[in-house]
Amino acid sequence: MTFRQFAYRNVIRNSRIYGAFFMASFFSVAVFFIYSMLMFHPDIERGILGEVSLIGMVGAEIVLVLFTLFFLYYSLSAFLEARSHEFAILLHLGMEKRQMNRLVFLETMIIGAGSIIVGIIFGFSFSKFFFMIVREILHLNKLSLYVSWQPFLLTIGVFMSAFIVISFISVYFTRVRKLRDLMKGTTNYAQTYSKVHAIYGIGLILFTYLITLIIAQKSFISLLALIPLSATVGTYYLFSDTIPLFLEMARKKRHFHWQRYRLLSLAEQTDILKDNVKMFFVVTMVSTLAFLSVGILATMSSYTTQYDRLNPLGLVYKGDIDNPYEKNHINSLRLQLEEKGLSYQLSRFVVVKQTSSFTHNEVEVFRESDMNSLVSSFNYPLINLESGEAIFIPYSEESLKKLKNKIVHTILQENNIPITIDSVYPKIVFPTSIVSVNSIVISDEDFEKITRLISYKPIIQPVYHLFTFHIPQWRETKDIGQDIDQFASSIYVKKQSKFSPFYFENAGLNYSYILATYSLFTLVGVLVATVFLLAAGSFVYFKLHTSLEREKRKFDVLKRMGLTDAELKKLVNRHLFPQFFLPWGVAMLHSTFAFLMIQGVLREFIDVSIAKEVFFAFGFFVLIQIVYFYLIRWRYISHIRS
Amino acid sequence: MPILQIKDITKVYEGKVTHRALNQLSFDVELGEFLAVMGPSGSGKTTLLNVISTIDEPTSGEIIVDGMNPHQLNATELAYFRRRQLGFVFQDFNLLPTLTVEENIVLPLTLDQQPLEVMESRLTSIVEKLDLTAILPKRPNEISGGQAQRTAIGRALIHNPSLILADEPTGNLDSNSSRDVLELLTKINQERKTTIVMVTHDPIAASYCDRVLFIKDGEFFNEIYKDDRRQMFFQRILNVLSLLGGGQVGDLSTIRLP
Repeated sequence: MTFRQFAYRNVIRNSRIYGAFFMASFFSVAVFFIYSMLMFHPDIERGILGEVSLIGMVGAEIVLVLFTLFFLYYSLSAFLEARSHEFAILLHLGMEKRQMNRLVFLETMIIGAGSIIVGIIFGFSFSKFFFMIVREILHLNKLSLYVSWQPFLLTIGVFMSAFIVISFISVYFTRVRKLRDLMKGTTNYAQTYSKVHAIYGIGLILFTYLITLIIAQKSFISLLALIPLSATVGTYYLFSDTIPLFLEMARKKRHFHWQRYRLLSLAEQTDILKDNVKMFFVVTMVSTLAFLSVGILATMSSYTTQYDRLNPLGLVYKGDIDNPYEKNHINSLRLQLEEKGLSYQLSRFVVVKQTSSFTHNEVEVFRESDMNSLVSSFNYPLINLESGEAIFIPYSEESLKKLKNKIVHTILQENNIPITIDSVYPKIVFPTSIVSVNSIVISDEDFEKITRLISYKPIIQPVYHLFTFHIPQWRETKDIGQDIDQFASSIYVKKQSKFSPFYFENAGLNYSYILATYSLFTLVGVLVATVFLLAAGSFVYFKLHTSLEREKRKFDVLKRMGLTDAELKKLVNRHLFPQFFLPWGVAMLHSTFAFLMIQGVLREFIDVSIAKEVFFAFGFFVLIQIVYFYLIRWRYISHIRS
Repeated sequence: MPILQIKDITKVYEGKVTHRALNQLSFDVELGEFLAVMGPSGSGKTTLLNVISTIDEPTSGEIIVDGMNPHQLNATELAYFRRRQLGFVFQDFNLLPTLTVEENIVLPLTLDQQPLEVMESRLTSIVEKLDLTAILPKRPNEISGGQAQRTAIGRALIHNPSLILADEPTGNLDSNSSRDVLELLTKINQERKTTIVMVTHDPIAASYCDRVLFIKDGEFFNEIYKDDRRQMFFQRILNVLSLLGGGQVGDLSTIRLP
């Protein structure tokens, strides 16, 4: 038997022990491969996903590789730890350390090569399925399967080097232990935590939560920079010091501690925590990121579906009264729309700014007949105003509710026109960016009376023209008016004047940007969530696998001492539950506060509520985790009973 | 009055090779007796102990502990029986590494949901007797083998079981710790009238007992009762052992006289 044969037989004949490590590697390879299949897709290179940047996908792939590296390293070390007794026997028989390294290297490469091959086969057979999901999520027409050497080469190259690097690192970084200790396989249990760090831990986390709440209320975006740092450090100290301190305090209370299983489970939790600080920390941070990306995804999706409602107009052109380009631009827009064969209805507004005696602020005054020409194109109810009457124009859903029952008696000061505003137009017709907070419609007769314009200094343009294009097929207007956009940005860049004399908004173009960002987030979010689900569970599984023999001995003793079967199950529950749900619980708490903050900030900019989406995303994760918990619990109990 | 009655116990392990570990073995253990069971490797000592401790089912025969047959109980009742009636001492101590010495000792009582006052008073009295006061807050890996075995004895005693089963309790200890542990077991046996059944290889350990039962190939071989002098008793145990070995004494451990 040569050395290579020995390594080979080690792997083949111990397939049960090596199985776990193989599965972990194989899943990573499969996920990576499927993702690279998407990345190298010829349609995506041709830009079918719109503006989804390839850079974003490459970035996600790099994050995936780094995470996989860490994950494989962790798995391998846990795996080597589990086999320490076997290595001890080999060293005892006179194997050199150098030979042992070579053995580990050979075995890792055998498993690595196997998992790369199986992973690619598996990944390739499921990539069509994955493409179908992506196609559905991103509303693409088609995303066909293709064969190309690039994803294969990338996957093989990346993972071969990953396995080589990892087998070297794990061999050299494994703690050098004495042969005697390896034989006994004991771990050292000592209490090490500092009270100061414990207070830091809880303090920093509370501080972070406080900041998120402040941001949610007051929108101090600058405080945002503090959050990642304080959350990271706080979480680490929470696991390394704060929770051990609490457990130690609980253990000192005999009335609480010396109860049935608590005696055992509290003691075990202390040790589990001590052994797994790094793992809990990593799982928590990764979970938080995954939750956040899924939550943002949900937000984006809700924003995308609501976009139509929030932006009813296809194109909006707003220009000053002395805007020299007005005629040119409007003609060019009409021409372009006609060339594309898109039907449209153009409405022209003259909007006058006046001062309201009620608030002493400026109001934007719209003319009744202008408004009616626009709303009739939407088939919305027409406005019918008597002289002296006025209605509000809502700028968001929220304002619609707020203004509904408001009655204001005011005088437009410059021209001394008394009006009563007693209702709000029931639909949103203008996007938030176009109309000001104080916009009203008055009757044609009153509008004629406006002769004197507002005249204080800060108001530069007392009157502006508004051109709205209602286009039923607004998603196809992406390319319309690109010349105007370029012209606007060139004015801005050259700073020819302080203010551009016009403003142009293209809902179709904005939508395509939003859709592209959304697609990117979907791809990244789905990936992160997949990898995370795989990793977090496997971390726990590996830890359990490593300590299985010790646990089995412990339960043997307990059974002899008279532990009933029901009690054994309860004890196992208490043993497994925190390992599964402690990092998740903390991550959920973190993300809940993060979402409170995001919701608070979003309310300022766009009118979207994310509570429902986030709730569903969380529910989904909890469900998966519970299934996972019962699966592993079932395996664990059957191992222990055998 | 016998506290433990073994009646015609037979245990057959079926598998690729059928093996008869115990063959119609019968004996009684009186209340308060300290019994040693000796025999060569593979003679069925550990099987016997497992059958008594209800971990293993006998193929045929009957065991009566304190007037009842535990093998007729269902799984839960059996667990309750073990946790109240039996105490265990193992060769490799089997203390739970995550618990402190103190917690290891009270573990059987917490499993049985005793009130805290009972636990504390029992703990204090046992700890004093076993001289463990100084090491109570330590972990099992921070104490010596002798201390660990004393802790294990404390754990086996704290719930006042009617029967203590010891499987080679001195097997992993040096001679001084062995002597301590054996003297401790004798003292407990005399003071508390606790019945102890100890399986051992070591004739010195056996010489501390009231009676030594020899088994060979799962069958009763011989039994001897203790003398006034331990030295004489030890000598007689050796005689039986050499007889038991049939001239080949390979099975016996090296003998060092204390």
